[in-house]
This record gives sequence, structure tokens and C-alpha cells, in this order.
Amino acid sequence: MRNTIIWAVFQKEMRDLFRDHKTWLGTFLIPLVLVPFVFFLMGSSYSSQEQEARAHVPIAVYGSSDLLKQLEAIPGVSFHQPSDPNQALQAGQLRAIVRIPDRFDERLEAGGTAQLHVEYDSTNQKSVYARDVIEERVMAYSKQIAAERLQAAGLSETAIEPIEAVYEQVASEEKRSGGMLAGIIPLMLVVSLASGGIAVANDLIAGERERGTLEALMSAPIPANQLLTAKLLTVMIMSCTSATASLVSLTLILHFGPIASQGFALSLFTPVTLLVLILTLLLLAAFFAGLELMLSMKAKSVKEGQTYMSAVIFLAMIPSYMLMPIHPVDIPQHYYMIPVFNGVSLAKEVFYGKIDPMHGVIGLGTSLLYVVLIIAWTARLFRREGVVVKP
Amino acid sequence: MIEVRKVSKTFGAFTALEDVSFRVEAGEVYGLLGENGAGKTTMMRMMATILKPTEGEIEVAGYSVRIEPDEVRRRIGILFGGDVGLYSRLTARENIAYFGSMYGMEKQAIGERIERLSQMFEMGAFLDRRVGPFSRGMKQKVAIARTLVHDPDVILLDEPTTGLDVTAANIFRRVIGRLQEEGKTILFSSHNMGEIDKLCKRIALIHKGRLQFAGALEQLRAQYGKEDLDELFMTVVEGSGR
Repeated sequence: MRNTIIWAVFQKEMRDLFRDHKTWLGTFLIPLVLVPFVFFLMGSSYSSQEQEARAHVPIAVYGSSDLLKQLEAIPGVSFHQPSDPNQALQAGQLRAIVRIPDRFDERLEAGGTAQLHVEYDSTNQKSVYARDVIEERVMAYSKQIAAERLQAAGLSETAIEPIEAVYEQVASEEKRSGGMLAGIIPLMLVVSLASGGIAVANDLIAGERERGTLEALMSAPIPANQLLTAKLLTVMIMSCTSATASLVSLTLILHFGPIASQGFALSLFTPVTLLVLILTLLLLAAFFAGLELMLSMKAKSVKEGQTYMSAVIFLAMIPSYMLMPIHPVDIPQHYYMIPVFNGVSLAKEVFYGKIDPMHGVIGLGTSLLYVVLIIAWTARLFRREGVVVKP
Repeated sequence: MIEVRKVSKTFGAFTALEDVSFRVEAGEVYGLLGENGAGKTTMMRMMATILKPTEGEIEVAGYSVRIEPDEVRRRIGILFGGDVGLYSRLTARENIAYFGSMYGMEKQAIGERIERLSQMFEMGAFLDRRVGPFSRGMKQKVAIARTLVHDPDVILLDEPTTGLDVTAANIFRRVIGRLQEEGKTILFSSHNMGEIDKLCKRIALIHKGRLQFAGALEQLRAQYGKEDLDELFMTVVEGSGR
């Protein structure tokens, strides 16, 4: 009887949700289709901008010097003499203005330093690109003059570069891509887990109360905890579906999107790290589901519930953003005991490919404790008459 | 049988019901009469164990709503007034079957019961359609069928004919008559005096949370010397001093 009731309520909730196109659109289709589409759009727009910046580099040069030959060699460069070069630069007609002072070559020939002024617009990526290619040419020209001067003085280039530092990174390819993913994925997963259940949780209590179905249901001889269990499972399923959709969408972006060439790999999972990740996500889903149902019970209306639910998104985003730039070895120990922080910290370790067993025990243990507490609190609230009938 | 003994209900500083007592005999159709906001729905909710009495005791089918709420729930079917409380994305059949399963009924028994209720309320044409676009009357029929799916001994009907057209209201009254023949105990709340007059012999009249009268309608008429129920109601309410 116990499981039959839970199953009957769960089945009905899923059938009801499955027929609600808005729910599926928000939970599944938007993350799965729209997010990759936006990434592809951004990527193709970025790459067309980059192509345009390389193909066409209009600049204005004032003054004369042998340096001009170097600048002429820049692919796509063209020289212009507009009446108001500053205005042309602001308007994007020019990418940069190079001002060569008088006696520039003379100063260099005398063995001194000559200043060169390059004006560019840092808010325009094409102008920034022009600055970069000019800098590259100027540095090459400068290096060439320096080498000639050293040769004339009977010195080799090593005279001014006594130390040559060689840097080697020790992280494997998996670890490097894991490091990148460890920043993005926990944020995306945790926010999806939190947001995926919001609409459903709000509908399952505040919505049912508004429609009068909760009252009818609560007058049936079913224990409140079974009803709550079924509703909790429904919210968890929707949260996990949303997180899965986000993960699939990210996988599509990593494999086929504009950053696919950077070779991100998800081959860093071992059976243990995968198990820890699944447990962490399930516990986070249960925590958010309990919290969202509790807020739905507290709300006097669906509208009020929506306002309360926005706090849940913040609760998910704050730890995710705070931990994003931190390497797992630098995560403070107490973060593994704070709700949501513990889940995000463990997820980061998983994506770095190495889990500290102590962190695993503390993180999963405290997550479980918070899930038990929030569900117990929610269940207690559910038995109060104010949940069904708002005065 | 329903027995209400000295029941009061408060919500914070607000007193919804005060010292109300009446008794509904087994197999009786009893009217709970009062204006909107008189406390009828609060009384129904306490009988359905959704609210707890602040003071006093209610027994339904011999079980206390305080001590044995599950036993009470097993024996009642309740139809709340106002919103009819159906799942709009489920069909009429799915709505009724869902509540049948909440009462532990087997699938086959639910199916058979739905067929009977469908005939009773003439729902065959729309039984397998989603409830969302139904008219108020169609929804009310489904809600009543949902209330009766587990064949309860005690039926609590809170303003059940609200929104029903004349034909549907007549069908509903016939059903009440049939349920009475089956020996069901029915508490019927309404602010419509004519409707109460057609269905009930005994009533409880509540005004602003206090019981003004409990007993036979004939006794009330004799006591105030008036035949017309609307007039009678106004006389009782005005005489209450509240």
C-alpha cells in the first residue's frame, strides 16, 4: 500500500507534467537546443569578426621611417589619410593611427631610443587586433636593430639575455581540460539542478492549493509523508532532467562548437569519481527539491512562490561563482561542510580527476545530513493545516 | 452519523466558529445553512480532518477527527465548494481513477465504479477528454464523481450545485436521493434556501460562526411562524444580534 500510493502520486505528477508543454520547454528543450544554438551563433559571429579583422586592416601613418616597410608587410594592411583621423578611429573606419615623430630614424641610427605613438580603440576588437599586429612588427624591427647594435659592439644577443627560463607544465591533457571544465560544469550543473525543479515545486504545492486539488488530496486516507515523498521525487526528476539536458548541451558545445578544437576531454572519470559525482548531484537535487517544496508551502500563492524561488537560484549561484576560480587544493576545509558549497567543491575535485577521500566523506556526509534536515523540516511543515488552507 | 459537540475554531485572533453543536443521523440528508463566510466551509474542513477544532469534538462515522483522522478519511467523500479541484491536464477518467487509487481501490474496481458514476452523471461523452476546457457544470460532475468513487458512507458536499445549470442541478438532486436510498449520510452545505428546502428535513443554521438553529425545518417554521425560507432565514439572522 505504502509504495503503491507513492507510485500512484508520482505517476500522476509525471503524466500531468509530461502534458504540460511549458514545463518541458523550460526544463529540457531550452537547455538542450537553445543554449548550444546560442553558443554556435556566438562562435560563428566571433569567427567572422576575426576573419574580417585579419582580412582588412586600415591604418593611418603620419611621419616617415624605414619602419613603414615593416608595417606594409602586415597582411591586409592599407594606409589611409582621413581628414579627421581620430574621428575615423572612433567610427571604426580606421583600426589604428601610427605617429612617427621627426628624426625617428636618426635617433635610432645614433644608437638612442625613439618613441613611436600608436593610437587604437580598446573597445573595438578589430582595433585591438590591429594594435597587436603593429606591436608584433615593431618588436621584430626593434629586435633587429638591437641585434645590429650588439654585433657592432662585438657582443652576441646572449649578452643581454643572460638567463633563459624554460617553463614546462606538468598537468596531463585530461587534467588541463578537466581544470577548464571544473570551472564551468559545477556552476552549470548546480544552477540547472536548482532551477529545473522550481516551476514544478511551485506548482505541486502552491499551484495545487490554488486549484483546490491539494485539499481534496489531503482529505484522502494517505499519509502526508507518502504524498510528500512522491512530490519530492517528481521535483528531483525534473531537476536531474534539467541538469542532464545542460550536460548534454555542454557536451555538444565542447565537441562541435567553436571551442571544439581546444580538445576538451571527459575521459578523466574513474568509477570512484563518477560514483562521487552521481551521489553529489543526487544529494544536491534532493536538497533543492526539499527547499523548493518548503518555499512552495510557505507561499500564499503561486506568484508569491515564484518570488521566494528566485532566492534558490542565488543559493546555487553564489557558491558556484565563488569557487569557480579556486583550484581544489585551495578550497578551505570548512567549505566541504557548508550546504551547496560542499557539493560544488566535490564536483570540482571530480572534474580535476582527484578526490581527497576525507573531502569525499565530509562532503557527502554533510550533504546527506542537510538533505535529511531539510526534508524533515518540510515534512513537519506539510502536516500543518496552514499548508492546505491559507487563512 | 456525524456528531459535532461544542466546536470552536480560531485562526489567530479571528474566531471562525464558536461553540457549535449539532448531530446528523446515519442515512440522513442534513443541511448546513448560512451566508458566505458564515463558517460552513471551516466546519466541513474540520469534518474532513484538514483543519483541527480549536475546542470541542467532532465524530464522523463513530471516529474522532482528532484521534483517528485516517479512519475518518476512509469513510468520507468530500466535495469542496468554489474551485472544483481537478487536474486540468488529466482526463475526467484519469482524475476519478487517481482519487480511487488514493483510497486503495484496485484498478478493476476503479474501472467498474467509473462506468457506474459515468452513467449516473451522464458523463460518457466527455469521460476521456482532458478536463481543462470543460464547462463549470461538466467539471462539477467530474468532481462529484471523484468524491463518490470509493463509495463513502459519509458524504460532505460544500456548495455542490454552484455553477451547475438547471439540468445538471436536477441530475445532482436525483443522485442525492439515490445516495440517501443507499443509506448514505449526507451533509449538504448551501446558502441557497430553496435548495436546502428541496433536499433536507433537518438543518443547522450558522451565522457569523455561531449556531442559530439546529433541528427540523418544520420546527423552525413553527417557531417563527413563517413558511418562506428566505424570509425565515432573514428573521433568524436579524434576531441573532450579530
